[in-house]
Amino acid sequence: MKKAYINNKAYEINNGETILSFLKRYMGDKPVPTLCDAPNLEPFGSCRVCSVEVALEAGGRTKTVASCHTPVQENFHIYTETESVKRLRKNIIELVLTDHPLDCLTCEVNGNCELQDVAASVGIRSVRYPEGKTHLDREKDLSHAYMTSDLSKCINCYRCVRACDEVQGQFVLSMAGRGFESRIIKGMDTSFADSDCVSCGACSQACPTSAISDIFESKSIVSSTKTRTVCTYCGVGCNLEVASTNGNIQSIRAPYDAEVNSGHTCLKGRYAFSFYDHPERLRDPMIKRNGTFEKVTWDEAYDFIVDKFNQIKATEGPDAIAGISSSRCTNEENYLMQKFIRAVVGTNNIDGCARVCHSPTALGMQRAFGTGAATNSVEDLHYTNCMMVIGANPTAAHPVTGARIKQQAMKGKTLIVIDPRKTELAKYADHHLALRPGTNVAVLNMMMHYILKENLHDQEFLSARTEGFDGFKEEILNLDIDKMEAVSGVDREQVRAAAIAYASAENAMSFHGLGVTEHSQGTYTVQQIADLAMITGNIGRRGVGVNPLRGQNNVQGSADMGVQPHQGAGYLDVTNPDINKAYKDFYGVEVPSEIGYKIPEMFDAALAGQLKAIWIIGEDVVQTDPNTQKVIKALKNTDLVIVQELFMTETAKYADVILPGASFLEKSGTFTNGERRVQRVNAVVKPVGNSKVDGQIIIDVMNRMGYNQADYTPDGMLEEISQIVPFFKGISWSRLGKNGLQWPVAEDGTDTQILHTETFKRGLGRIDFFPFEESNELLEHQEEYPFILTTNRNLEHYNCGAMTRRTNNVEISTEDLLWINPADAEAKGIKDGELICVKSPRGKVDIKAFVTDGVKPGVLSTTFHFPEIMVNNLTSDVHDSQAMCPEYKVVAVDIRKAKNTAFRKAGELVD
Amino acid sequence: MSKNISSLSGRQGLENNLFERISERPDKETLAALAEEFLVGKANTFGAVTFYDFLKPENQGKEVYVCNGTACLCAGTQEKLQQDLEKHVSADKIGHMTCLGRCHENAAFQYNGKNYSNLNEEELSSLFEQKSLPGTDDYIIQHRGTPVLTGEYDKNELFDLIRNFLNQNSADVLDEIISSGVRGRGGAGFPMGIKLEGCRNAAGKQKFIVCNADEGDPGAYSDRYLLEKQPLLVLIGMMAAGYVCGAEWGVLYIRGEYPESVSACESAIKELTDAGLLGQNINGSGFNYAFKVVTAQGAYICGEETALLSSLEGQRPEVRVRPPYPVQEGLFRMPTVVNNVETLAAVPYILLNGGEAYKKIGTERSSGTKLLSLDSFFNRPGIYEVDMGTSLNTVVTELGGGFKSKVKALHIGGPLGGLVPLSKINDLSVDFESFSQNGFLLGHASVICVPFDFPMAKYIEHLFEFTADESCGKCFPCRLGSVRGQEMFEKAQEGSYKIDRQLLDDLLETLEQGSLCALGGGVPLPIKNALQYFEEELKGYFE
Ligand SMILES: Cc1cc2nc3c(=O)[nH]c(=O)nc-3n(C[C@H](O)[C@H](O)[C@H](O)COP(=O)(O)O)c2cc1C
Ligand code: SF4
Ligand code: SF4
Ligand code: SF4
Ligand code: SF4
Ligand code: FES
Repeated sequence: MKKAYINNKAYEINNGETILSFLKRYMGDKPVPTLCDAPNLEPFGSCRVCSVEVALEAGGRTKTVASCHTPVQENFHIYTETESVKRLRKNIIELVLTDHPLDCLTCEVNGNCELQDVAASVGIRSVRYPEGKTHLDREKDLSHAYMTSDLSKCINCYRCVRACDEVQGQFVLSMAGRGFESRIIKGMDTSFADSDCVSCGACSQACPTSAISDIFESKSIVSSTKTRTVCTYCGVGCNLEVASTNGNIQSIRAPYDAEVNSGHTCLKGRYAFSFYDHPERLRDPMIKRNGTFEKVTWDEAYDFIVDKFNQIKATEGPDAIAGISSSRCTNEENYLMQKFIRAVVGTNNIDGCARVCHSPTALGMQRAFGTGAATNSVEDLHYTNCMMVIGANPTAAHPVTGARIKQQAMKGKTLIVIDPRKTELAKYADHHLALRPGTNVAVLNMMMHYILKENLHDQEFLSARTEGFDGFKEEILNLDIDKMEAVSGVDREQVRAAAIAYASAENAMSFHGLGVTEHSQGTYTVQQIADLAMITGNIGRRGVGVNPLRGQNNVQGSADMGVQPHQGAGYLDVTNPDINKAYKDFYGVEVPSEIGYKIPEMFDAALAGQLKAIWIIGEDVVQTDPNTQKVIKALKNTDLVIVQELFMTETAKYADVILPGASFLEKSGTFTNGERRVQRVNAVVKPVGNSKVDGQIIIDVMNRMGYNQADYTPDGMLEEISQIVPFFKGISWSRLGKNGLQWPVAEDGTDTQILHTETFKRGLGRIDFFPFEESNELLEHQEEYPFILTTNRNLEHYNCGAMTRRTNNVEISTEDLLWINPADAEAKGIKDGELICVKSPRGKVDIKAFVTDGVKPGVLSTTFHFPEIMVNNLTSDVHDSQAMCPEYKVVAVDIRKAKNTAFRKAGELVD
Repeated sequence: MSKNISSLSGRQGLENNLFERISERPDKETLAALAEEFLVGKANTFGAVTFYDFLKPENQGKEVYVCNGTACLCAGTQEKLQQDLEKHVSADKIGHMTCLGRCHENAAFQYNGKNYSNLNEEELSSLFEQKSLPGTDDYIIQHRGTPVLTGEYDKNELFDLIRNFLNQNSADVLDEIISSGVRGRGGAGFPMGIKLEGCRNAAGKQKFIVCNADEGDPGAYSDRYLLEKQPLLVLIGMMAAGYVCGAEWGVLYIRGEYPESVSACESAIKELTDAGLLGQNINGSGFNYAFKVVTAQGAYICGEETALLSSLEGQRPEVRVRPPYPVQEGLFRMPTVVNNVETLAAVPYILLNGGEAYKKIGTERSSGTKLLSLDSFFNRPGIYEVDMGTSLNTVVTELGGGFKSKVKALHIGGPLGGLVPLSKINDLSVDFESFSQNGFLLGHASVICVPFDFPMAKYIEHLFEFTADESCGKCFPCRLGSVRGQEMFEKAQEGSYKIDRQLLDDLLETLEQGSLCALGGGVPLPIKNALQYFEEELKGYFE
């Protein structure tokens, strides 16, 4: 055991740790004052107030060193409170105060300022220096929607610069000038608003004073209540610390001890919370009478719903009823919704938004491995040597994970990006395969072809742990490379190089997103990614695996809970008689064993007059599902449409009954993130107005329809779930603690970071070959509609935007834009910022042009966040052949300069 | 420093070097495009540019740069020079550079990319007519003892030396250097062999040998001598270091104040290339080596090795924490040896004569020889090479020939070196130990004379001011303390203020113990020397 001494007492040291972290382990959080040090930043050594004295023997000659960046060594005698270091600290702070305004009492961080704390701890009484040069006249920057600065308060600790660099990787901040004149700049000395800032807030959180802050004054101590919860905006599952006063939310910070996000968030998690008490929040249940919504009491609403349900069930049978559950809701609520549909209504017509995003992932990975979830954890980025990102733009859609991938890439880890667009990550990639949308299968087959050709496959792994390789090998070696190169538009040598990089890395891991799944061959592509991992032996240890970036915060959880028509809670097959019996015993009633409708089938059934009632929770199918006009017709053709929502969304407008649900800030429960981590969501405030926790609404209806279900509590619900969902066996509310547990969780509470370490869930991994097939969308329409439109999300907005458009995020991203290559723009006579009329076989919309080489000629790209545009008027009916996920990523369109220069709503364009 | 920017800059390597690109005095648009090209932030390229004297908007693109270094200041030549120059160029076209290495005659300035010193009015006029004059840069070069650095070397013999050591086992080459005991001449005196060994043993895809030719100490021009008059010694030293460590790149980071050094090194590199001694598989040895000459842009702190590396990467040259040491994680985060010009220039002698031969020169712990540069107060200003251990008096009186006019102290070893009163000259010998035992610092061994009538308070103010001007600004004590110290002495000289001695002592202690690097940490030494040896003179300024 190696030892060092703190103030003459011996303690064990860890290899390579700094003196400061050594001191912290034994003396608590603040063993010495610090200013430039921060938990999530590299040691920097600028403030020097962490200095300690170190001798090589007891009472020996000492040297003063900064504890934050000096490694501790065996037999160091560290003295933390000698007269000399105390004097040093005090004298440094005195110098700092010679250039700092003395208006603490009116400062927004008064009482929570690290400078103030350190000044107090070192015992500063007065500043003895004669008055000299200062920088107190610097002006405030209030230009930005969220970020603020008052650099007269800056102490030049560089924490903001380092946070922007080391945490977010955005490089917005730096110093300019040198010495005494050095000062923080944004961009080339512009304002926050004019800089490339992505509003992650890392700098604000890092700044020890109020020099960089935000409009919520998140470092002020006005609020007394702090609640830890989980972000609702994506599958990363960042932990948030929400400050509130008297039931009003003040601000949000990221806890440093969160395993998922260690002190980081994106702007959605940190700043986009003010929607929660927006005036437009739905506050009362409403029933549509004679075409207008009327406020009603909950009892009226429940009576109305229950009557209708009972009546439809009696006359048309349970299969005329369907439910769409929400991936924004908790596991408990999703469990309840599927239970309601299955056990109370008596149909398997239950589906969720996973249908339109990651259903092919679940299906494809179940086929290949037996489990439809990420094999590894984001943490594995530290252990991997090669990252392959395919069909995903994580810096926008999964920002905290995106930032972490970018950090690794910048520091030199191999990055392969397969994406038609030049995404942020593509800029940093060693290999960017900019394929034509819809040709993932072709490119992945080319990669595997070259891996086998180069003999880079892992025969040992293949023989021991997989099946199907021999057949696969024959097919892949016969691949028509000329043809695949032609259809994908990617040079074969580029593909070969990427293939070799992936296959020869010691550990390679892949991440995929909706650019993989939202295709006619989506499930096959997921299986190919699994094939790629298996033939190179990249499964079952740290730093490898297949890692879907789950879209909404609880997509993983809603599927786990049984929100799909063919599998119940815990992914158990509803058609299997044994399982049917188990469910029946557990729920205490008969449950159906025929597979129900997937979402697109629900709309088809509605159009055919077979679906009479639908209950939609937290999902704006009109704006976000493909082929808007068809969805509207389907809803119009359904007798009872119940929409449980926060806002009057496009879908809610077509409801017969509106039930006001609660936002994530108003309820407790659990979310499961993309790495299977079940985390506690804690209510910060009460639901606004008369709105209710969604789980309780479902329970109220269950009880009124004669099923006995106890009131909603997260611990009670979890207890029930853990008895039926096998991989939740060891999960309980109290066990989840601060950082949650990754399923499967064994009965004793042990969780699982890496799946398939010894065997696959399905025994042997299954390897299949899938030939490339052109999407029907293109086969049928390409002649008339020669451009390919691909849709995606941006950083600032969340799907239909109902929440984020009701925050200051709209000041940062104000509209959907159409990316178009300069060559195409020129050919069509379109200039940046002009309106383009985009027409598909389904409809047309006008969108503003953003001319960029981020897309290749022939390819267009846009977001779908704004109802004014309704991009999904364009998208098609083509679905993944296996999982029925819509093909949002390949839409045949034609474009021309819009006739009108004034903007027209999509509805006005509909023929 | 940013690990990310180090790596991103390293992606482009030395061929497309971010620092050189920002050194082309780009406008804002170009800086933005550079940021995009190198995948860094606009704030980074802009922030880096604003650090350097020659690049920051206020001082960029002047017609003439007048030296404001310590030797020229003490010589009192610069006020008149400024007046004379203003007859030819308007005042707003005159900028500043700190020490042009013309300390042997002063009145130094740079014009049209060339340095001049001590021109009379007539010469000045013809300079501005003809835009250029043939260089006059005469100083005495002499040795007392073994001419390791100032000897005459036959070019072919040196070329053979390269072929020779490339034939040897690199471990044997390293052994010679280790056994020579040669210590770093850049100031800190760290044994070169141990540094090379560290780099040799470090793992890295690429490795680099960097020659620190940023000789920033005002008063020092011994590196300039070597770069201009003995460039092959330096280059061969770098090649040997590269061979020992497995580095294929030698980078010379030469201060922009020395344009002639840049061209001298470039021609020497060409000679090596022409002789087939650079490039791939040199002389069939399997060893590849290339040189890169980088011109610095005016910042004293870039002489500090970690700041130098950040500068080379195109980052702001702020001092890094150590560890990691450059031999583990240096340029572009690859193992890197940084050595001073004079250290490297000793290597050919060592390899020609054997490490033992070198070890025998000098003292037990300071082996070899040392160059000293004497300023224009000496009767015989110039570069002198002496064996380590030679008495200082020999240098001052015998070699330097004593002073032209009355002097009260010698500032030896640059701004961070000690201030040696005349009374102590006899106690000192030229080696690391003698200086440090007596409370001084040998440093790079430049010698500047403080004239008898030069007020010590003004000299102290100048030292604080130099530190304030050159402080990288990273650490709190130096960034703030240097300015406060300067202000105290400025106010005290104006008469409006008496210095609180306790406060001054606290400030010096804070700088000394708290600073991250030896700039803030070192400036208290000469100031404390001044307070000790010139107490009488300074008494009146204190409370
Ligand atoms: C403020 C400061 C300035 C320095 N300037 C120089 C310099 O101009 N030239 C130099 O070789 N070393 C300089 N050094 C020392 C370098 O940091 C480093 O120690 C040296 O280059 C190592 O080479 P050596 O071992 O051969 O001496 C300076 C150090 C400090 C702290
Ligand atoms: S908010 Fe984020 S991106 Fe913007 S400056 Fe701060 S750290 Fe950088
Ligand atoms: S703005 Fe804040 S974090 Fe940034 S250097 Fe100033 S005090 Fe430090
Ligand atoms: S990265 Fe995702 S989970 Fe994290 S704060 Fe942003 S939206 Fe929320
Ligand atoms: S002592 Fe001065 S020059 Fe050195 S790191 Fe600190 S601020 Fe920079
Ligand atoms: S905390 Fe160590 S130098 Fe700032």
